[in-house]
Amino acid sequence: MRRLLRDQQARGSSAPVDDATPLVLAVDAAGGPCIAALNEAAERAGLSSRGRIADARALVSGLQIRPADPAADDAALRRLALWAMRYTPTVALWSEPEGADGLFLDVTGGTHLFGGERALLGDLGARLQRFGLSARLALAGTPGAAWALARFGARRATLVPAGGEGEAVSPLPVEALRLPEDVAIRLRRLGFKRVADLMHEPRAPLTTRFGRILVRRLDEAFGRVPEAIVPLSPPPAYSAARPLLEPIGTQAAIVAVTMDLMADLLPALERDGVGARDLRLTLHRVDGETATVDLGLAVPTRSPAHVGRLMQLKLESPDGAPDAGHGFELLRLDVTAAEPVATRQLVLAPSPESGAAARFAGLIDALRQRFGEASVRHLRPRESHIPERAVRSLAYEAGWPAWPEEGPALRPLLILSPPEPADTLLPDRDEPPQRFRWRGILHHVAHAEGPERIAPEWWRGRIGEVTRDYYLVEDRAGLRLWMFRAGRPALPAPPRWFVHGLFA
Amino acid sequence: MLMPSAQGLDQALDRNARIARLRLLLPALEGAPPADAPALPFHLLEVDHALPARGLAVGALHEIAPAGDSHMAAAFGFAAACLAGAGFKTPSLLVVPNRFVGAYGAPYGHGLHLLGLDPGHLLIFTAGDHKAALWAAEEALRSGGVGSVLALLTGPLDLKTSRRLHLAAASTGTFLTVVRPARAEPAGAAVSRWRIAAAPARRCRFDGFEGTRWRVALERARNGRAGSWLMEWDHGAHRFRVAGALAGEAPPAGPAGPRLLRAG
Repeated sequence: MRRLLRDQQARGSSAPVDDATPLVLAVDAAGGPCIAALNEAAERAGLSSRGRIADARALVSGLQIRPADPAADDAALRRLALWAMRYTPTVALWSEPEGADGLFLDVTGGTHLFGGERALLGDLGARLQRFGLSARLALAGTPGAAWALARFGARRATLVPAGGEGEAVSPLPVEALRLPEDVAIRLRRLGFKRVADLMHEPRAPLTTRFGRILVRRLDEAFGRVPEAIVPLSPPPAYSAARPLLEPIGTQAAIVAVTMDLMADLLPALERDGVGARDLRLTLHRVDGETATVDLGLAVPTRSPAHVGRLMQLKLESPDGAPDAGHGFELLRLDVTAAEPVATRQLVLAPSPESGAAARFAGLIDALRQRFGEASVRHLRPRESHIPERAVRSLAYEAGWPAWPEEGPALRPLLILSPPEPADTLLPDRDEPPQRFRWRGILHHVAHAEGPERIAPEWWRGRIGEVTRDYYLVEDRAGLRLWMFRAGRPALPAPPRWFVHGLFA
Repeated sequence: MLMPSAQGLDQALDRNARIARLRLLLPALEGAPPADAPALPFHLLEVDHALPARGLAVGALHEIAPAGDSHMAAAFGFAAACLAGAGFKTPSLLVVPNRFVGAYGAPYGHGLHLLGLDPGHLLIFTAGDHKAALWAAEEALRSGGVGSVLALLTGPLDLKTSRRLHLAAASTGTFLTVVRPARAEPAGAAVSRWRIAAAPARRCRFDGFEGTRWRVALERARNGRAGSWLMEWDHGAHRFRVAGALAGEAPPAGPAGPRLLRAG
């Protein structure tokens, strides 16, 4: 993956990079800058990674040097990891001791989609080549063996047959065991040059001398202890992918493939008695970019038709359609959250009772996909006597909020937020105004009922809140408004009047 | 089909019977609900008898307009009262465009509750624009997921769209009301069109407010009669009362005043 580093670096730099002449990336180290990565021309010129820049300058004339940018490298590797999810949802970045310049792909059980292990390896290599990346690939039964062969293997792509890890790894240098640098150096001093040298040594002395890491790495490489890789995103429980012969880009095609993928997931979902609550469709573009579309459902579903319709709504929404570019070549549907469902209820014709609930959930799903989660709301009561705080409008969640039988006695049908000032023309002190101007219209008050005094919630400690005296005010035309006077008349500042709501 | 009869009298009877039969078919052709369709009665003789279904037919479009911009809260209140009177057990969808909230405020839970409408069983869709509101209303009607839809609209409802909504409501038997702006064109496909103005409330002996009142004008009822009444909402029993007929009463102030008079 050294090429990858160089490639990303070159993209960011302004000066043109000549691939034919030697190029190195410099990184600061003790004793002067070192070579972090280099291109093939530099390799041919006899340079190697970790060499001093000063030495390299002396060795090669016209050497191109660029500073290394680890952050950009990391970002590039992450992008590549997202792309690699076209092969499997379980993709892990190499950790810092592993070089942080490669990826683990757990392709267990998924190689048939790409025509077998060998075909997958070939496909992966060819695609990376097209991106301008000269990668080294290895497919083995353990992450340790795969890493060793990708790093130190003789060939650019290695396929280890099942159980052949020991044979494949043993001729490699001891560094192939992902050991800390000091351990590797001490091993070499003691004459252990190859993995094979260690294989038949007694384990106890090795552990005493080099720590547990050595024996553990050996066991991991040979598959004697399992090694868990930490995937970039947790692998979904249910996942289906479909490589496409011809790239697709139209909404209709994406919806059709989504329905096919959902149908593929159906047996597994039915077997486990669950339905999908959250779905993620990952679309892999021909040029290596990926796009995702997330679907959240009100109730778990297994219906391909329902998922297809929601996908269509999502794609039709203003920011829902991913940029197809030259088309998508692979689609993957993951169930990111699954929940139990009553058996087959949502797949076959619904019964009248369950049907109403299912139709309601379907409606919520449709509105949400098209207009977003926040567009579907319900009103929840809250313990507060401040009117605007006593009701919360929240995004819909399953179930219906219970409203108390008895509420406040006099509340408007519509509430203005924030309250709008009313011009009372005369500084009315205590009583509701005889007339007032609100929104440019003069209202003559015919009747008023009140006041209802609402004090600020002092325990919340909000500054600037004052006591409000509320009145129901009816004008001569019969309009009923909810008005309040802010502040007490006794205060030096004149009280101000506001319209806070409209009655039916 | 009836066979033609030789006798003149029979023929005439035949003719009348056939015309009567055809008359029965007419509402269906017009897209109106049949006379025996389920309906939400007002439980007010004079109002229910003005409507062919003896109430607000479900599965049909009903349109409510305020007598002027300032009467919008009254129009919404009347629509909410119609829903509250029906006592739906299924959830209702309330479509509220953001522009409506900006102009008239947001529906307030405790206020809806005071009218007798359980806010807990209300699903509120906040529409970014008029188009979204219409889309959501139609989606809800076609899905059959809710028992009733009340859409507060901020734009016009053209004939084609109103027919779509009407047919969508008919397809699932959902109760549909739209509240449109005072000055917008009336919805062509509505089976009933109402115009609402606020009226001074009934007061108790101690001058407290007791009953919300509206001047209600039924401007058009397909296969029914127009009429206008002073209606009052009984907040305890959750039903309407007629406080008086509005014949000859002065129309409320506002630009739409003369329209109301003509309807009466």
